Amino acid sequence: MELLAEMLHVDKSFFGVKVLEDVSFDVRAGEVVALLGENGAGKSTLVKILSGVYARDAGTMKIFGSPVGDLTPRQAQDLGIAIIHQELNLCSHLTVAENIFLGRETTKGGILSKREMSAAAGGILSSLNIDMDPDMIVGDLSVSMQQLVEIAKALSTDARVLIMDEPTSALTAKEIDDLFVIIRKLRDEGGRGVVYISHRLDELKHIADRVSIMRDGRFIKSAGFADITMDEIIANMVGREIKEKFPRVRCARGKKIFEVKNLSAGDMVKDVSFELYEGEAVGIAGLMGAGRTELTRAIFGVDGHDSGQIFLDGREIAIKHPSDAIASGIVLAPEDRKKDGLCVRLSVRENIALPNLDSLCGGMGMVNRKKEDDMVGETTKNLAIKLSGPEINAGSLSGGNQQKVVVGKWLARNSRVVIFDEPTRGIDVAAKVEIYNLMNELKKNGIGVMFVSSEMPEIIGFADRILVMCDGRITGEFSGKEATQGKILEKATRFETKKLGSHDGAEREEAV
Amino acid sequence: MNTEKRNVGGRILAIRGMPQVITVTIGLLIIFAVFSMLSDNFLSVRNLRNLMRQAAPILIIGIAQSFVLITGNIDLSIGSVVGMSCMISATLMTKGVSPANAVGITVLSCLIVGSINGLLVAKCSLPPFIATLGTMTIARGIAQIVNNNHNTDSIGEGARVFRRLFYYEDIGGVYSSVWIAVILWFIFNFILSNTRTGRHIYAVGSNIDAARMSGVNINYTVTAAYLVSAFCSCVAGLITCAAGGVGTMDAGNTYELYAVAASVIGGVSTLGGQGLLLGTVVGALIWSVLQNGLVMAGAPVAIRNIAVGIIVVISVLLDIVVRSGKRIRHKKTS
Repeated sequence: MELLAEMLHVDKSFFGVKVLEDVSFDVRAGEVVALLGENGAGKSTLVKILSGVYARDAGTMKIFGSPVGDLTPRQAQDLGIAIIHQELNLCSHLTVAENIFLGRETTKGGILSKREMSAAAGGILSSLNIDMDPDMIVGDLSVSMQQLVEIAKALSTDARVLIMDEPTSALTAKEIDDLFVIIRKLRDEGGRGVVYISHRLDELKHIADRVSIMRDGRFIKSAGFADITMDEIIANMVGREIKEKFPRVRCARGKKIFEVKNLSAGDMVKDVSFELYEGEAVGIAGLMGAGRTELTRAIFGVDGHDSGQIFLDGREIAIKHPSDAIASGIVLAPEDRKKDGLCVRLSVRENIALPNLDSLCGGMGMVNRKKEDDMVGETTKNLAIKLSGPEINAGSLSGGNQQKVVVGKWLARNSRVVIFDEPTRGIDVAAKVEIYNLMNELKKNGIGVMFVSSEMPEIIGFADRILVMCDGRITGEFSGKEATQGKILEKATRFETKKLGSHDGAEREEAV
Repeated sequence: MNTEKRNVGGRILAIRGMPQVITVTIGLLIIFAVFSMLSDNFLSVRNLRNLMRQAAPILIIGIAQSFVLITGNIDLSIGSVVGMSCMISATLMTKGVSPANAVGITVLSCLIVGSINGLLVAKCSLPPFIATLGTMTIARGIAQIVNNNHNTDSIGEGARVFRRLFYYEDIGGVYSSVWIAVILWFIFNFILSNTRTGRHIYAVGSNIDAARMSGVNINYTVTAAYLVSAFCSCVAGLITCAAGGVGTMDAGNTYELYAVAASVIGGVSTLGGQGLLLGTVVGALIWSVLQNGLVMAGAPVAIRNIAVGIIVVISVLLDIVVRSGKRIRHKKTS
C-alpha cells in the first residue's frame, strides 16, 4: 500500500512540557487507521502537526514520500491533508455552500459565482449521500447536520489524507452508520487514507483496518485490527489493567427525595414522570436527541416547562429560573462545560464562588474573602483539583479539572438533588473514577443523584436504576442488575423508525 | 502564574487584569516624563491641579462605561445623559428650584434613562449598540427640549454652594470635582470587586450562559450596570453645569467614546468579563495627560486629535498582542 503520510521520531513540547516524544505514525492509501489513546495522550497534537496547526520540535515528516518542513494549515490543505476538528468551526450566519467554499470561493472577474458554488456543494453533499440543501443557513441546522457540513467541507478539497477527530460525538446512531458508509466509500475510492480518532472503542469494528495506540505522548503499538483484541487495545491505552472501572457503592434505598410528574417542555420533553430516592444514582440513557439534556434543563428551569409538577421532599416547588432550582436545592452540572458550565475567563475561585455568593456575602452584598478562600480551598482539596493556584483561569485547566470545577461549585453548597449531564464526557479515565467517587459520596450522604450519559457501559456499570428515554418520553426502566446493552437499546430505539421520518420532515420545515 | 501567599507582590500580580494595568501605568509614566521635558509649565502645581480637574469627569464616565463593558455590552447614551443632566439641573436652578431639589430631580431622570437601557438590552434582548443609540438620541433631545432649545442663563447666586460643592471648592489642595471622582471610584470599585453584584457583572460578561445556569439574575445584573453608568454620567453632567454656571445643550457630546477610550486603554475588554477600575483610572489619566500635555507643548488641535487616536489604537493593539501570546500558552493544557 502506498504511504501517504509518514511521521518519524516527532517531538513536541509546549513551554517545557513534553507532549510528544519520539512518536512515529503513518497513513497508507486505502486504509482507515484508528489513532487511539486516553485524553492527553497526544493524539490531537500529533494530527495538528500533520495538518500544519503546530510546528514540530524534532523529527521528520514525509508526505507522498517527500520530506516537508513546517507547514501552515493552508499548505497542508494544498498537499491534500484535510482535518475535521473535534469542535465545529463553521460560520453560523453563512450558508452550507458558503461554508464549504470559505476561503476558496470561485469568482468570475472578482464576482462570486454563487450558483456554481451552490451546485458544486450540492454535488459534494449528494456524493456523500447527505440530504441537505446547500443554501440553508448553517446556524439553522442541528449539531449533527453541522458536523456533516464539516465533513463535506474537508472533502471538497480533494484530500488524500482525511483526519477525523471524534467525528461521531454529536451524531445519532443512524447518522453514525451513514458516516461509516461514507468513510468506507472514501477509503475504497481514489486511494485515500483516513485517520480516525475516537474514544468509542465499540465503533472500531465497523471501520478500523489498523489501530495505532499512544499513551502519555509516546507511540505504544500499531497493529492490524484483525490481529489485536479489544482487551489488548485497552490494556495498551491505559498501560495497566482497569480492575474496577465503575466503583459503584451500594447504599440502602431511603425515602423519596424528588419527584417529577407529567413534565412536558417543548417538543423534546413529553409527559415525563419519575422519582428519585435517597441512596441511589439514577442514570438516564438514550440516544442523542432523545430529550435527555432538555429534561435536565426543564427541571433546572433553564428553558421552562409547559406543564407538570416537581416535588422535593414531598412539597411541590415552582421552578421558573435556575435561581429557583438552586434555592430549593436542585443543581445541574451541564453537558457543555465551556458554554454552560464555566466562565472560562474568570478564575477558578470566582467560578466556584459564583452560585454560592448568597452564603458568602455578608451585609450590603459584600463578598467575604476569607469565607470564599476557605470554600475554594476546601472544594479544590476535596475534589483533588490540580491547580497552581485558585486565581488561574478556569479555561486553562484540562477537561477533567474543568469538570471538577463545574461539579465542585455545586458541591460547595448543601444541595438535595444533583443532576449531572454527561459528567465524564471528554475526560480521562483517572478523572472519571474521581467523578464516580464523588457521586458515590453524594449517594452516601443521602443526596439524590441523577446523571445523563451516552456511554452505555457507564450507565450499566454505575447507575443503580436506569431510565431510558426516546423521543422525549421515558420508554423503559431497569435496575442496574437486570440492565443489558441490548435491553436498553431496544427501549431507546422504541420510536426510532417513526421518529426519523417525522423528525426529519420537521427539521426541514424549520429550516425553510 | 504562581500565587503563593508568601509574597504580596505576587498576589497583586495574580489579580486578573493586573498585569495590563501595570503595563499601562508604565506607559502613563513615560508620557508624563516626556511632557515634563517638553514643557516647563507642565509640572507646575497649578497645571497639575488643573490636569486633575480635567481628568475627573473623564474618570467618572470611564467608570460608567467600564461597568457596562464588563457585562459585555456598551452604553452609547453616556454623553447625552451628561448633557441631559447639565441642562435639567441648570434649567431647574434658573427657574428658582433649590439646588438640592434640582440635583435630586436630575439624578432621578438620568436613572430612568439607565433603567430603560437595562430594560431594552436585558429584558428585550436588543443589541446594546442599537438600544443605547436610541436612548442616546432621545436623551440629547430631552437636553434640548427642557429649556426650549436654548442654553440656559447663568444659574445665579443661589447656586453658589452647588458650584463650589461640585467644582470650585479647594479641599486640601485638591478641587472638589476631583474629590467627587475619587469618592465615586472608591464606591464603585468596591462594588465591582467586593460585592455579589460586582461578581455577577464579571460572570455575565464572561459567559452569560454559565452565569444563567449558576442562578445569576441576568436582567438585574445588566440593568444594575446601566444604572451605575447613568448615575455616573449624571454626576459628570452636574460637574459640567457647576463648572460653567450655565446649562449647555451639547454638553458631554461624544463623551461616550472618550469613556470607551479611558476604559479600553486601561485594559477593560470590549468583549466583556475583563478589566479593573484601577485600569480605568490610568486610562482616564493617560487621556487627560495627553490632552493637557499637548496643549502645554503648543500642539495644534489637529495634532492633538491624531496623537490621542494613535495612542488609543496602540494601547488596544498591545493588549491584544499580550493576550494572544497568553492564549497560545494555555493551549498546551487543553
